Amino acid sequence: MAKITWKQADGSAIEAEVADGTSLMEAAVANSVPGVIGECGGCLSCATCHVYVDETWLDKIGLADEFEDAMLDVAEAERREASRLSCQITASPALDGLVVHVPEV
Amino acid sequence: MTVWQPTDDGFADLTSHDSFIDGAPHNTFARLRREAPLVWTDWTDGEGFWSVTRHADILELNRNFKVMSSARGIRMEDQTYEEYLARRTFQETDPPEHMQTRIKVAKAFSKPVIAQFEDQIRDLCVDILDQALSDEEFDATKAIARQLPMRMLGRILGTPDEDLEWLVEKGDALIANTDPDFTEHVLDKMDTDEFRLLPFNSPAGAELYVYARDLMARKQAAGDTSGVLNLILQPGPDGSVISETEFRNFFCLLVAAGNDTTRYSIAAGIQAMCHQPELLDTLRSDDIWQTAADEIIRWASPAMYFRRTALDDLEMHGQTIRKGDKVLLWFVSGNRDDEAFDDPFRVNLARHPNRHLAFGQGGPHVCLGMWLARLEVRVLFEELVRRVKSIEPAGPHKFLRSNFVGGLKSLPVRVSLN
Repeated sequence: MAKITWKQADGSAIEAEVADGTSLMEAAVANSVPGVIGECGGCLSCATCHVYVDETWLDKIGLADEFEDAMLDVAEAERREASRLSCQITASPALDGLVVHVPEV
Repeated sequence: MTVWQPTDDGFADLTSHDSFIDGAPHNTFARLRREAPLVWTDWTDGEGFWSVTRHADILELNRNFKVMSSARGIRMEDQTYEEYLARRTFQETDPPEHMQTRIKVAKAFSKPVIAQFEDQIRDLCVDILDQALSDEEFDATKAIARQLPMRMLGRILGTPDEDLEWLVEKGDALIANTDPDFTEHVLDKMDTDEFRLLPFNSPAGAELYVYARDLMARKQAAGDTSGVLNLILQPGPDGSVISETEFRNFFCLLVAAGNDTTRYSIAAGIQAMCHQPELLDTLRSDDIWQTAADEIIRWASPAMYFRRTALDDLEMHGQTIRKGDKVLLWFVSGNRDDEAFDDPFRVNLARHPNRHLAFGQGGPHVCLGMWLARLEVRVLFEELVRRVKSIEPAGPHKFLRSNFVGGLKSLPVRVSLN
């Protein structure tokens, strides 16, 4: 399990306990986090689950692979260094306490 | 006026295109969702297949691309490997190969890039509606729904406007290859295999091949390297380039799929406004433009199914889908599943969330053109309700003869203006 927090640009936040192995996109959809859609079910075809990883967590989360990197160019919101597609981040005990920011569009 | 109701007896033959000429057989899909959510159908014209009709099951299988392959064909009809190779596009590949091609055009079809077309789309809508609404009675499919995606296709492909009628006629002959109104070579009544290596098994594919070749030659001579047709020819992340055959198939796919689905979504939306007149008032009074287009597209569900082929055995609902079996994901059925949608047979333009499957959501093949489709539908209806006070049927409508693409090929309406 990992406690994950999704923060919105307006300051509101949603917290959830996410089971190991569940992607952050799936968890966001299950918890009705506004702004995380996941149109392609986590298959790297849509970029609608784009988030910014909180800067304190950047080292632990790591970088996007080649396809994710290319798909981040397709996202609606501005791409930043902390940009990731949340379908490619999987919950594990190591991510307990992770904070991600949902882009404002 | 009542809401459109399905008329099938609940036991429609899904292999028969004639079962769809009064609209999708929704009583049959409702019974299947209730009684037999994974059901095998024998078929006299080819291998039998499984049908998946519940929203949740479609989502589960659609994302499981490692078992549910698109690389054996995506329609009910069987293909030999030779036919598959000759006719395929990246729609008929699996990840990661699928991604090598898709990524080249993903940005061009992304939400922010497509959003830049809004003013252009609005200008086209104004032009189309000015012309259509000069008559009190007209065929809304021909005068409105067919026009907008056709003219946008020209902008996307960089083709001259005077070629568009011809292009769309050929595109219709491909994708509506089971309807005698659109082709002389009706797929399930053909007595030749002469066209089996052409897109959609249609001679129109050969004509589009020639057009694509000439178009690219003209672009090259003019030094024009812009647009999606040039993007798709670039190497993918692994350096791979698509073959000439695959390029021409991609062109045919854009001409066919880029057209009819948005057309039939717009037509279904206009028909819904005939049957639920309150929708016009809702659109005028409420700020529901963020949700309206998706609801109209859910209601339309023009791409009724796509097929997968099992690469391994898979258990579902106490039955085994065997390796090699064809599996049809009936998106049109999932979009009327009352487990997923409250009151699914009513159009609710404020529906939110609206996890419909009309774009094949939940899997790697989610519609590349979905942002364009949504934008075209939204802007068209924004401009329509600005002008129209009421709209009603002016004669019998006609659905396409196809179990693959569902839509109103004619929709006579009478309008009164604001």
